[in-house]
Amino acid sequence: MGLGFSKKATAPSAAKQRRHTERAAHGALLALGLLTLAPFFFVLDNSFRSTVELQRAFFGVPQAFTHMFSRTPVEVLDENLQRALIPPEKCFSYFLGEATRGYQLAREVLSAYLLHTFEVCLSVALGVVLMGSVVAYLLARYRFPGSRIVYFYIIATMMFPAVLMLVPSYMVVRELGLLNSFWALFFPYLAGGQVFAIFVFKGFFDGLPEELFESARLDGAGHFNLYTRIVLPLSKPVVSVVAIMTILGAWNNFMWPFVTNTDGSFHVIASGLFVMMRTPVAQNLGTIYAAYMLSSLPLLLLFIAATKPFIQGVTSGAFKA
Amino acid sequence: MVFDAKNRMSHRTRFVLGIYALLAVPLGFLTVFVYLPFFWGFISSLYEFEIGAPARFVGLENYREFLFKDPVTWPSFLNMAFLAAWGVSVRLTVPLGVAKLIHTLGNERARHAYRILFLAPIVVPGVAIQLIWGIMVFSDRGLANEFLRLIGLGHLTPSWLTDPSSALIAIACIGFPWVGGFEVLIYYAGLSAIPESVNEAARLEGCAGLKKFFLIDVPMILGQMRLILILSIIGGVQTFENVLILTRGGPGFATTVPGLWMYYNAFSFQRMGYACAIGVTLFVLIFTLTALNLRYFKGAETLED
Repeated sequence: MGLGFSKKATAPSAAKQRRHTERAAHGALLALGLLTLAPFFFVLDNSFRSTVELQRAFFGVPQAFTHMFSRTPVEVLDENLQRALIPPEKCFSYFLGEATRGYQLAREVLSAYLLHTFEVCLSVALGVVLMGSVVAYLLARYRFPGSRIVYFYIIATMMFPAVLMLVPSYMVVRELGLLNSFWALFFPYLAGGQVFAIFVFKGFFDGLPEELFESARLDGAGHFNLYTRIVLPLSKPVVSVVAIMTILGAWNNFMWPFVTNTDGSFHVIASGLFVMMRTPVAQNLGTIYAAYMLSSLPLLLLFIAATKPFIQGVTSGAFKA
Repeated sequence: MVFDAKNRMSHRTRFVLGIYALLAVPLGFLTVFVYLPFFWGFISSLYEFEIGAPARFVGLENYREFLFKDPVTWPSFLNMAFLAAWGVSVRLTVPLGVAKLIHTLGNERARHAYRILFLAPIVVPGVAIQLIWGIMVFSDRGLANEFLRLIGLGHLTPSWLTDPSSALIAIACIGFPWVGGFEVLIYYAGLSAIPESVNEAARLEGCAGLKKFFLIDVPMILGQMRLILILSIIGGVQTFENVLILTRGGPGFATTVPGLWMYYNAFSFQRMGYACAIGVTLFVLIFTLTALNLRYFKGAETLED
């Protein structure tokens, strides 16, 4: 069979076949996407529902939402379990309060944890970017005795697995008297986080053309000026990648804040969520779901605001074996 | 005097000293909070710590106890092997299939949208994911049992996490369908990096569909697969958060993994030395598996050249 003939004969059907394949791919991807996101959709839905509703049926439109727009008085049980009638004109504000009751309770418990998390994430991100970029700049652009040993000393720690580090790190932090404090999280996160930052920054700085530095030096720029005027402005994308990865790591770390908070005075959101499940607040199921929403919302906002560096960071973070 | 000494130092010496002054703080942190624990872990594993008594040197006794005497050890390693093997198999296959599906789409915007869609779940903290699955999927009236009732298997409905025969399987099922994460992006990057000439040659040879996927795509992205394989193995050996959060290792020891046993020995029984010995054992295991991987897969890559 000649190639020319077969090509002519199959061209329309090949295009058709391709359309079919595309449609099938879309179908499969949408189905998988739905399955992946479904649990989070249920969490959102359940966060607006009362415990009674949740126990009655797994899934449903939050009753408070339908009652909000009711044209007839709605009968409810008030705090003292007495029957009360809510007149239609008051329905909206009353049931808005009911729908967000879980969020109000969750916020009361979580606001301290959230504040701690923000403090830790932002200060560690700032410290890691600053320290990581300075060290990487020195290692990438200067020759000095011992520079290779220093780099090896830093990079070798990437092979230390978290499971081996957990118990002795706890012992070190305990000996230093840092348990139950901001510093118990800040110092180890900074010390460990800079390694990945140095790795990423150095890769970037290594690739900067030497002419750039040469011409700046001819203009009389000192070492400090080279760093602030040339290196930092050029590495904005890398800075955001490192900052996002540091925030993501600190935000998600559950085990370390959980074990270093022996008296529970400096819980962050991840350990706080787990602790919250054992308090009476957790009797109200709506509160639990609202708490999950609150714990993810700041990162979701970050994800939406900085999708591109987020994607880059997650892919480069994967190389941090 | 000081001024004099400074003057006598060459420019070069001062330059190097300046660099090390800048490096002092970062390297100091690294030494105190990374190297010190690392070595202290090895040293502590040779000691027995008792409350109210000085640490006692016991040599390799902790290792002997963990590997040969402790009745929890081998069941926990079996649980770990099951969870790790399961984790490796799903991470090597499902996200790869999804990446391939996304890659076949003609529309660039659709490909971008799908990549974001499958990355989005990463914003939910891991602890929240575990708790959500525990309360929403595996509780008595959770999604899993409601689904079983829906398809007429209502008589099966196990009490997932508290039944020793289903607890481990339930933990393995978390995250279904296991595509929300960075793996899809890694595989996608690998597929995008396949040279157009290779794809063109495959097309001319009439190699398409599944045949092309297995004969061209998979061999071309072995590097990415190796990365995911190593990361999944490392994760599988050391992860115990999910077990701690969902079942605390129970019922009995049905879901205990070595990492969790280390955690209990350290923070519940105050046996820091024994816990460190477990940690070191897991480190050796991770190190060996990673080295084997790099070696084995290197062979495959040179074959391909």
